[in-house]
Amino acid sequence: MTSPRLFSILRQGLHLIASVHTALDDSQLVRFQADLVERIGADRARGVVIDVAALDVLDSFGSRTLRDIAEMARLRGAVTVIVGIQPDVAFAMVELGMDTGSVVTALDLEEGLAELDRCLAASPLPGP
Amino acid sequence: MAAVGPVGSPDQSCASPDVAALIPLVRRIVAARVPDRATVDDLVQETLTRVLAAAGRVEPGMLEPYAIVTARNVVASMWRDQDRHRRHQHRVVDLRPPPAPDEDVLAGEDRAAVAEALTRLSERERTTLLAHEVEGRDTRSLAVELGSTAGAVAAQLNRTRARLRVEYLLVSERVEPPTERCRPVLLAISSGERRRQREVDAARHLLECEVCARLSEPLMERGRARDDAVRVPVRGDADIVAARQAARELATRLRFSPTDITLIATAVSEMARNIVRFADSGEVVVTELEEPRCGISIVARDAGPGIPDVERALQDGYSTYQGLGLGLPGARRLMDEFAVVSETGRGTTVTMTKWRGEA
Repeated sequence: MTSPRLFSILRQGLHLIASVHTALDDSQLVRFQADLVERIGADRARGVVIDVAALDVLDSFGSRTLRDIAEMARLRGAVTVIVGIQPDVAFAMVELGMDTGSVVTALDLEEGLAELDRCLAASPLPGP
Repeated sequence: MAAVGPVGSPDQSCASPDVAALIPLVRRIVAARVPDRATVDDLVQETLTRVLAAAGRVEPGMLEPYAIVTARNVVASMWRDQDRHRRHQHRVVDLRPPPAPDEDVLAGEDRAAVAEALTRLSERERTTLLAHEVEGRDTRSLAVELGSTAGAVAAQLNRTRARLRVEYLLVSERVEPPTERCRPVLLAISSGERRRQREVDAARHLLECEVCARLSEPLMERGRARDDAVRVPVRGDADIVAARQAARELATRLRFSPTDITLIATAVSEMARNIVRFADSGEVVVTELEEPRCGISIVARDAGPGIPDVERALQDGYSTYQGLGLGLPGARRLMDEFAVVSETGRGTTVTMTKWRGEA
């Protein structure tokens, strides 16, 4: 690979931690979405934390992609928590009129993982 | 040992038996220091020549030590020479490219193009320009002659140069402007007059006319000294990021608040995406505003299919593709001023402005 990685998807226990490293354009976001949904199945993940702190902007496409990921993950049996939305980005999303009510969010990675544990404790699956 | 003949023509018959006996010794000394066999041979020869030349001056029995020292010196001076050569090599290198075989031909074509372009000027334009540029007459004396003022002559000279640049490009590229509008547009760009460019709607024409888009490149290169406007061509996904980063950079330089910077970047992102989605290509121009107060103006322009019903497109949730329908209405909420001009089949121009807060 010649260019630095744009995002990484790491496994931690039953969870996947997906971090975006830089501003992504639309096609890169779509690839991120595809990779992540694929990994949820491959790793049999029950929870996903998406860290978007590095995104400079969450415009309509970016927001929709995150919402779609959360929805697809849910259909694949995983809970998604978005973390790291910057205050200015949050402000812009509200001004833009984004409806993101259905997406679970947390302040940072730590809070996100704690949130996932709570969600999974509430709906336990038979252990492996 | 008897003295030998004059230096420079060593008397072989006398000295050579002794010197010849030294050859294996010298060779061993040199070979121990120099890896390359050909160089060893050269240096052995060099040493023997020196020893031969000096044989008459060296005391008998001392020829062997003399040869040893000479051999070492010869090797050392070779190293010194190599070193000096390395150090000074860069001075010898000629960095000028060798003359290309077609150089003369190209220069000739260039001259012909200038001459041809000059004939396309009006008589009055040409005489004044040549008097000023070639004969070195100043604008004041020209003004007296023409019954005008120095300033007016200078302005006219500027227009003439702009026209000459356009004509020169047309001649050297061997194209005729395809439409009536091309020449005025190119002229406005060549002269760098923004008002004139707006009057002839130069930016839109460049999106529509391929010939002018190509010809305008060198003309615009000239006038790119002002950096209060950034132009980002938008053709694909990656350009959306480039456009919003250009806006972010200018807004940062203008000391917008971080929140406003993100709002601006988001709005630019939406507009640039509209260009990619609906028109394939277009451009985003980010300009600094000073009047009536500090602000940033963003123009997103394309020559796409246009928006049939702008009023509806400005309503939330109206979307012609699988989007959220937030593009135009959302961006309008993010900015202070927002205007859409669209003509079906001709394209869309979105102009938006954000004023810097008083903070």
